[in-house]
Amino acid sequence: MARRPDEEYDYLFKVVLIGDSGVGKSNLLSRFTRNEFCLESKSTIGVEFATRTLQVEGRTVKAQIWDTAGQERYRAITSAYYRGALGALLVYDVTKPTTFENVSRWLKELRDHADANIVIMLIGNKTDLKHLRAVATEDAQSYAEREGLSFIETSALEATNVEKAFQTILSEIYRIISKKSLSSEEPTPANIKEGKTIVVGGSEGNAKKPCCSSS
Amino acid sequence: MLKGKLQLPDKARRVFPDRLGSLVAGLVDKEDENGLYDSVFESGEELEFIQPDRAELCKESDYEFQCEYGDDCDLSLNDKMMEKEDAKTRKRSEKDGPGQVSVMEVFAADEKRSDIEHELSQKEINLEKLRRIASTGLPEGGGLRGTTWKLLLGYLPPSRDLWEKELTENRQKYAKLKEELLSSPSELNAVNNDVLNSDELNAEGDGGGPLKRHGVSHEDHPLSVGKSSAWHQYFQHTEIADQIDRDLQRTHPNIKFFSGDSSFSRKNRDAMRNILLLFAKLNPAIRYVQGMNEVLAPIFYVFSADTDQQNAANAEADSFSCFVRLLSDSVDHFCPQLDNSPVGILSTLSRLTDLLKANDEELWRHLEFTTKVKPQFYAFRWITLLLTQEFDLQCILRIWDSLLSNPSGVQVSLSLSHTHTHTHQD
Repeated sequence: MARRPDEEYDYLFKVVLIGDSGVGKSNLLSRFTRNEFCLESKSTIGVEFATRTLQVEGRTVKAQIWDTAGQERYRAITSAYYRGALGALLVYDVTKPTTFENVSRWLKELRDHADANIVIMLIGNKTDLKHLRAVATEDAQSYAEREGLSFIETSALEATNVEKAFQTILSEIYRIISKKSLSSEEPTPANIKEGKTIVVGGSEGNAKKPCCSSS
Repeated sequence: MLKGKLQLPDKARRVFPDRLGSLVAGLVDKEDENGLYDSVFESGEELEFIQPDRAELCKESDYEFQCEYGDDCDLSLNDKMMEKEDAKTRKRSEKDGPGQVSVMEVFAADEKRSDIEHELSQKEINLEKLRRIASTGLPEGGGLRGTTWKLLLGYLPPSRDLWEKELTENRQKYAKLKEELLSSPSELNAVNNDVLNSDELNAEGDGGGPLKRHGVSHEDHPLSVGKSSAWHQYFQHTEIADQIDRDLQRTHPNIKFFSGDSSFSRKNRDAMRNILLLFAKLNPAIRYVQGMNEVLAPIFYVFSADTDQQNAANAEADSFSCFVRLLSDSVDHFCPQLDNSPVGILSTLSRLTDLLKANDEELWRHLEFTTKVKPQFYAFRWITLLLTQEFDLQCILRIWDSLLSNPSGVQVSLSLSHTHTHTHQD
């Protein structure tokens, strides 16, 4: 993709949003990328994505966030959905226990289709609906610990912790990537010096191996 | 092919033949059974393509639903809307060039209305003529759109004399299907209670025990996990129903007909839920796929707005049949098992890419090589949802007038519109 000067960034990180339908994935996306929330949003059909460029650990990172329908049918078509994804935000609805119970199904899906080193963050969304809460923070917290995931509760509606959630996962991705490039025996790819850009995933047929892919 | 599994009378297939193949083959060598195809396209005016500025036009014309949809809401002709339809026609005609302005003005909404009314009052309706008028947009109100769509979808036969009989039969059939398939096992048990109990007691010989097992068999109870268990299936369908409910809450959320807590909108959502659930049960290979709600919405909305009370009251039954007919043309796109088959969504998308390449190579090259944006990312939703998530409801209805008017089916019509849109964006 042609890059304009105002779009300069050090890294492009692809992060996917997954979780049952209706948990608020699209609103987390719009809150993070456009600071918008829509109570009357439609169900997501197919795949959508949005980007936001921000500072992470002193670097300019362009976060490319992919959003899809909760129903399995739609990920089958877009086989590229998980390709090159460095992070996954696994969202459930704190007012709907079934969406939390299905988290294990989503983890399995990630294990089956995503890179083994993908950074996963569990997100309990809709904390603004306090009187309807049905999943205890502690339960989700201990589940996340057992599974080795980071965990945070958010409210896309009230804009609580949304920024923090994305910052956390992007920082984690950055740390892993920078560690890898330090430990890598190969010389740093030329494009880092020139344009300071690592484009990971996305375009098919890219012969270059993403710097973070499993060794 | 899954089409065979759809509960679809043969008649529907005749109206909507499997013409996906013709997406690529082009129009010239295709002709439908009545030889209508060529004439329809030659005249050049009947199939109106979606112009890239159409969405904007709709916004400009402020097409909001101003009617407060209370229980006594009058969904009949809205004069203001007619004026706007009129203005829109004029506006468009100006774009078409100065020479056509006067011709287009003649086609004012009033005249179109009387044309349609005249056509629909014929003993034997000329579908070719009807398609020609409908493709340029149907007037609002008066139930004209509902009746026309029913004819275009082949739900109503061209002979007026047969309408009442067909409608009565179909509506009865729907009521029966609903009763058979949408009742819970306990409701069904209640019906067959006597038979079940006596059979069970005789077979198991435990009739003398202190605790009687009324209506619950050993094999089938709410906790049984066997796939054949009626309860197991019932709960599986509850999951589907939950998904349907979630999506119906998000169907045209800005329109009171569909959303909100009014008893009116709740009644409408219940009816749509029945339709989608019934479809899912009758088509186990497809079940319910998110987005079907959007495809159903325009049909149910239009049929509910019929000024004929009988028609409006039976909107649910009629919508079900028409929804099935409409999907017969695109149902394979909803089926993951067919994704990589010639009838699946990926093939359709690649045919669309071919069409784009043939019609606008520059744009095709840009998407294919420069930006590497696959059609899955921009056209998938257009095709599976028949443009229903791209425009507001009033625009969708207008677009569908054209889509449904294509004798080769909505999918062919849709692809033509897409490539035409692309070409215009240049």
